[in-house]
Amino acid sequence: MSGDDAVSHRKGPIQVGLPWLVGLLLGVLAVGPGLERGFVLRYDMVFVPNPPLGPVQLGAGEGFPRAVPSDAFAALLSKALPADIVQSVLLLAIFALSCAGAARLVPGPLVARLAAGVLYAWNPFIAERLLLGQWALLLGYAGLPWVLSAAARLAKAKDLPRLVTALVPAAIGGFSSTVLSALVAVPTALARPGSARRRLGSALLAVAAVAVVSLPWLLPALSAADGGARTDPGAVDLFAARADTPFGAAGSLLTLGGIWNARAVPDLYGHPFFAACRLALTLAALAGWVRLLRRGSLGPAGPGLTAAALAGFAVALLGTADPGRDLLRALIEAWPGFGALRDGHLYTAPLALLQAVGLGGAAMWLAEGAGRADRFGTVAAALLLAAPLVLLPGLAWGAAGRLAPVHYPAEWTEVQRRVDADPAPGSVLVLPWSAYRGLETTGPGRTAVVLDPAVKLFERPAVWNDDLRVADGGTVRAAEGEDPAARAVAEAAARPGGAGAPEIGALGVRYVLIEREAPDPTSADGPRHLSENRFSPAIRASEKVHDGPLLTLYRLPDEHVGAVKVDLSGLEVTGWLVTVGSILWSLIASSSNLVSMRPLRPVGAEPRKENPS
Amino acid sequence: MIKILAACVIGAALAGGLALVGTTVATNSSATAEPVNESLYNYGDR
Repeated sequence: MSGDDAVSHRKGPIQVGLPWLVGLLLGVLAVGPGLERGFVLRYDMVFVPNPPLGPVQLGAGEGFPRAVPSDAFAALLSKALPADIVQSVLLLAIFALSCAGAARLVPGPLVARLAAGVLYAWNPFIAERLLLGQWALLLGYAGLPWVLSAAARLAKAKDLPRLVTALVPAAIGGFSSTVLSALVAVPTALARPGSARRRLGSALLAVAAVAVVSLPWLLPALSAADGGARTDPGAVDLFAARADTPFGAAGSLLTLGGIWNARAVPDLYGHPFFAACRLALTLAALAGWVRLLRRGSLGPAGPGLTAAALAGFAVALLGTADPGRDLLRALIEAWPGFGALRDGHLYTAPLALLQAVGLGGAAMWLAEGAGRADRFGTVAAALLLAAPLVLLPGLAWGAAGRLAPVHYPAEWTEVQRRVDADPAPGSVLVLPWSAYRGLETTGPGRTAVVLDPAVKLFERPAVWNDDLRVADGGTVRAAEGEDPAARAVAEAAARPGGAGAPEIGALGVRYVLIEREAPDPTSADGPRHLSENRFSPAIRASEKVHDGPLLTLYRLPDEHVGAVKVDLSGLEVTGWLVTVGSILWSLIASSSNLVSMRPLRPVGAEPRKENPS
Repeated sequence: MIKILAACVIGAALAGGLALVGTTVATNSSATAEPVNESLYNYGDR
């Protein structure tokens, strides 16, 4: 498409607003029953009533800050709105941002832009990550088109506010979101026209922008690594991409599936008919992308996103073959930070964006012309727009009912109130000693697996078993957790006679919370709370401060508790101030927000003042 | 001609997909219960 074509598709309010509306409708269709009052709890997606907002949620503590700053952001919004409504708003925002962001990248007619938006908001990647509960990651995913657009225009420092503003969703999402954004922003900035020095300067600016918005989780992560937090290289096998279509692991990744967790796959996903049609759609999207590239329609975003998608796809493929797994294990042993590469499917997000824009390019080709055959082309483009929905039916209506709201029994908020009212420092030990719980969501036989909500219920730190248990070929394997406090407690419980109050009190534990309905993870036919028994010496010495049908709360005697108040370091406070200040400054300096940021222009149509080279 | 063919192919695929979804919902033949290892709540199954 030439610059003239871009001008001919100048957008009015309907052209700009419709992708947002379509994205919102897609969100309603996808989340469905989950939008009713109550909390959608699934795997890592845990929202609690009255979410706390304190130093722990801002990054203080010993473990890797995986939920920083996403939990803090949700808690902040919950000061104004009920937490379950905040959750619904965040989930809908993912779909609206995704659809509108991808649509504005396509320099073509509305039908082509909507085709891109629909595919980016409705594809296997977003479905599988949503079923794994990774809403924070999906916020960063939704921001990728905006990051791509801003990075493509990053010529000088004065362009930084635009990129920092585009990075806001990733900044909220935290670690994985910003890694994905860096994967897109840096190659795109490098692909800008101009001398090698100018390109390098643009790339360094992109790195600086990503670093600035990463400080809230980056600084605690660095101190956690110094404090003994580690990543289990043995888990490379567990979290590697796997085949969830008939086309093998590589084919599944190419069609944006391949997530490691078999329970995060939508209904009907692996059906040969749907899988074959999605493969055809993928090939059409790739052909559309090549066409856009050859016409130079995308400017530096074209080669930049191509490089990001290829690099991400290569990382995802690493875990699917033995040499790649060996390499990943060696990298993680050398530096725990490489643990981020274990879950390779994550890195197909840029490929999803590439395919979405490519599908827009294919729809552009179909919709071009004015002859009789071209009218059929317009019909074909409109049908193409609906294809992502029809070919992935398992995402519809709360992923066929899997995203259903639940209500916390009043006992949970009672325990929360009691613990948070206690000024004495010290953590909450959560039992049974396992990370995930089974919740009956839509009735018997329909159990959702969710991270224990108790770990996010209190303002003080929670100590919980963060080992991840994964069934692999009939055997259950555990990926070692990262939290040094959890490891220390587990070691105390493993001693003969179990853990007493002095032992776990010395580790900073003030409360012990027992969830009575949670089955014990260590034995199917033994005592119901075997792991609780490992802590029974400590429990016997403690005061029972709450005893309900679901929860029992014990408080350890003061003389045994060696806890200090957990707080952010001066460096971490500075990091927060820099990040929040930079974002506010960017919003003001760019005098815009994500809505008003202009879409991409073809190379020839770029304004001279933004592209002095 | 190729665009006419594309419209037919995409239309047929969508019709087939909708028919498949319709029959699946009508016969309730898709999985209705997620596998859960009884009392052992894993993070996931590969």
